[in-house]
Amino acid sequence: MGKKMKLSNMKLISCFLMLFILSGCIGAREINDLEIVIGMGVDKDENPENILLTAQVVKATAGKASENESRGEDSKAFWNVSSRGNSVFDAVRQITHKTGNRLFISHNQAVIFGKDIAKEGLQEYIDFFLRAHEMRPTALILIAEDRASDVLNAKPETEKFPAVNIAKLIKTYGFTSNFYKVNMEDFASCLLNPTKAQLVPLVSIIQDGEYKDVYVSGMVVFKKGKMVSKLTHDDVRGLLWILGKVKSGVIIVPSPNEQGKAVLEIIKAKSKVTPEIKDGKIVMHIKIREESSLSEQTTSENLATNEAFEKIQEASAEVIRKEAMAAFNKSVELNADIFGFGEMLHKKYSKEWKTLKDNWDEIYPTIELNIDVETKIIKTDLLKKPASPSE
Amino acid sequence: MFGYLFKKIRYFSLKNKNECMLQNTKPGKNNSEPISPDLEKNLEVIKGILRDSSDVTTHEFNFGHDRKFKGALIFIDSLTDKAEIHKNILQPLMYDVLLLQNNVDMDFTKIDTIRKNLISTTDNLKVTLLSDLLDNLLAGAAILLINGSKEALVIKSEKRESRGIEEPGTESVVRGPREGFVENVKVNIALLRRKIKDTDLCIEKFVIGDKSKTDVYIVYIKSVANPKLIEEIRMRLKRIKIEAILESGYIEQFIEDNPYSIFPTISNSEKPDKVAAKILEGRAAILVDGTPFVLVAPMVFIESFQSVEDYYARPFFASVIRIIRFLSYIISTLGPAIYVALTVFHQELIPTQLLISIAEGRERVPFPAIMEAFLMLFAFDLLREAGVRLPKSVGQTVGIVGAIVLGQASVEAGLISPIMVIVVSSTAIASFAVPAQTDSGTILRYIYLALAGIAGGFGVIMGLLGTLLHLASLRSFGTPYLWPVVPLNFSGLKDVFIRMPLWAMSKRPKAIVWNDFDSNNQNPGLMPSPYKKDNIDSK
Repeated sequence: MGKKMKLSNMKLISCFLMLFILSGCIGAREINDLEIVIGMGVDKDENPENILLTAQVVKATAGKASENESRGEDSKAFWNVSSRGNSVFDAVRQITHKTGNRLFISHNQAVIFGKDIAKEGLQEYIDFFLRAHEMRPTALILIAEDRASDVLNAKPETEKFPAVNIAKLIKTYGFTSNFYKVNMEDFASCLLNPTKAQLVPLVSIIQDGEYKDVYVSGMVVFKKGKMVSKLTHDDVRGLLWILGKVKSGVIIVPSPNEQGKAVLEIIKAKSKVTPEIKDGKIVMHIKIREESSLSEQTTSENLATNEAFEKIQEASAEVIRKEAMAAFNKSVELNADIFGFGEMLHKKYSKEWKTLKDNWDEIYPTIELNIDVETKIIKTDLLKKPASPSE
Repeated sequence: MFGYLFKKIRYFSLKNKNECMLQNTKPGKNNSEPISPDLEKNLEVIKGILRDSSDVTTHEFNFGHDRKFKGALIFIDSLTDKAEIHKNILQPLMYDVLLLQNNVDMDFTKIDTIRKNLISTTDNLKVTLLSDLLDNLLAGAAILLINGSKEALVIKSEKRESRGIEEPGTESVVRGPREGFVENVKVNIALLRRKIKDTDLCIEKFVIGDKSKTDVYIVYIKSVANPKLIEEIRMRLKRIKIEAILESGYIEQFIEDNPYSIFPTISNSEKPDKVAAKILEGRAAILVDGTPFVLVAPMVFIESFQSVEDYYARPFFASVIRIIRFLSYIISTLGPAIYVALTVFHQELIPTQLLISIAEGRERVPFPAIMEAFLMLFAFDLLREAGVRLPKSVGQTVGIVGAIVLGQASVEAGLISPIMVIVVSSTAIASFAVPAQTDSGTILRYIYLALAGIAGGFGVIMGLLGTLLHLASLRSFGTPYLWPVVPLNFSGLKDVFIRMPLWAMSKRPKAIVWNDFDSNNQNPGLMPSPYKKDNIDSK
């Protein structure tokens, strides 16, 4: 009995110790030995076989260096280290020749692809970013108007790190609803969808005197993983109207007396898309409901009257309808299902979808939209009437 | 392997115990002879035994009408109140009217006669055995021996220097009584009696310690405390065979349930109101002469997070403070461990900006994070220990040196990262918020830190699980240590994470009282409310 007890105790203890050894969690690495990557850019190299990978690495000394010594040319808090490789992972490992430490990409905020790569097709380059265990699925994906390395090099004025700055730019899309946030996970799930076209924000650089400013100039449409075209700010908002994802933004309509403008701020917007197949024709019934506030007016007339409100509401509904139609027309032109109408049909008409999906490209341009917009002005902010002598 | 070790340890401890018992059963030198009627002989024996004690005073005297009776008074000079002896013993014996008269028909060789007619002190008793006589003599009583009597009279006239009742150093309060127990156990009992004026309040006396003969009292309320608990305490106290009890900690270590646990299963306090509250809940207090620290059993883990002030303050603030205490215990045990686990193993869990700051702070540090943490914790514990033992005036210097050396110089020298200083110092502050668990918290902190250094978050979780299992297995005098959380008791939960209003807590802790018939100690429906006519009418 006693011997048996001892044996089972030994077993228990060894099992317990094995938990520690076999867990696979043993991977101590001191912070000092990490190169914390906050942004990555992928470009095509001069040699078409190779890619150029740029990693934005945090300089741990930055805090002190900028205070004491520098003031000179090298006061940057980051280090853009680049390397060439046959594939992304190859380049990631090649970088250790320059850094001395391996890259730590868990804190990567954004992956920026150059336009040349986007045109060639993202699928083969994005694989590493989806597969690597350190990489977050919430990292943003972006396309650079020109080269990704240039975007990572443009030092912002208020932020320390360009990559963090770009991520911030993208995350504040709600103020205008002129583009929207796309992360790795969104993009990957879209790559899996055979009919839907995916949009990715496009960043460009404008030279403003001696400074280089990065800004989001629109979105790029991907069809089957390849870049096909660009969407302007207005087109993207039209898309978001239909999807009901407009968060906020500005609508400008002429004032009822046609002497100035009324500027509305979108407060709330939602939409409902109901697909219908009628006599072999596909009609999408889109109901858009929007609420806004009168945020600015450039006429001295008092717009806060029922009559004026009704006119403004009608005008703003027209603006919304136009934007939505423009987005749809653009998508028809590109023959890219950016709205995901295919998915909606699949859900409602799963039987019919089996035949539809095979020649979706031919069917998509024949879709008809039936847009119904209702808008409402719910407040006039702090003023009841403009600060002008009333008649 | 561990089982084998434990067996060995148990074997040796049992062996020691048996040897102790054998020694104790050996006949002592204080023989239990009866007192002889011959005064001379008695004095000779007593003087023989106490021949090396220079402070034993023997006063022989004659008394009675024509001084025909012989008597002797023995006492220890340093322990006895001489004025009382003169006034209440010697004076009556020598000058009482009864004795001066010739025709009184009384036998003054009988102790009973003297005790009933002459001695004017209240606290006295008869002894017939020499050993009893000596015990009382050494405890500070005066002994009256009469020639021709087989008995001796023990007159308790102990003089004792006692510290005044002061605010206890370990448990100061903002609101609440400021009195604290003192070293004199009689005073302590009085303090408790003033709080609980109940006929059911029992005060049982034990004398423990072969040489110290320390008075130990169990105080409880007969109608509330579980009789089995009291019986268990009695049994455990009787089992103690030790030469001397110098502090209640001795008793604690001999009667606790889990001597191998780092968690205390018997609580202690210096405050009469706290001890009284616990007695009223059905617990038993163990008072030991010579120390202001009173033991209370049984103890549950949650008690460590409760303070008397929680009940004096209104429930809202009390609840907030209680939650802060729980948090501070978590910080004090897990703080450095989580920091090390995060920065060494799970950097992806740290927000990016914070990670960059940490990386900047650690940039010049030559040690791995685990070494850094151990160094800082060791330095802090060193500082604390040095500060506690030093005289107050020097203690301040230690504090200043520590603050400069640990806080500033080590960071500037690049030995320690500034964030580690923040982690360790917040851990240190948090560790003082739960005084009852400071000891266990300090040990746990090092264990968790080591586990975090070996296996990161996984190690910390394993450590936490182990601690939880251990806590759940603990019992204090039959009460589960994690009660009322494990086993779950809803009425008990009213006083755990938040403190419900007093009028909502009408029941005694069930796990401590154990018998249902007595669990109601207050009328329900005591909630304060505005005057209602119906209430008055129905009465």
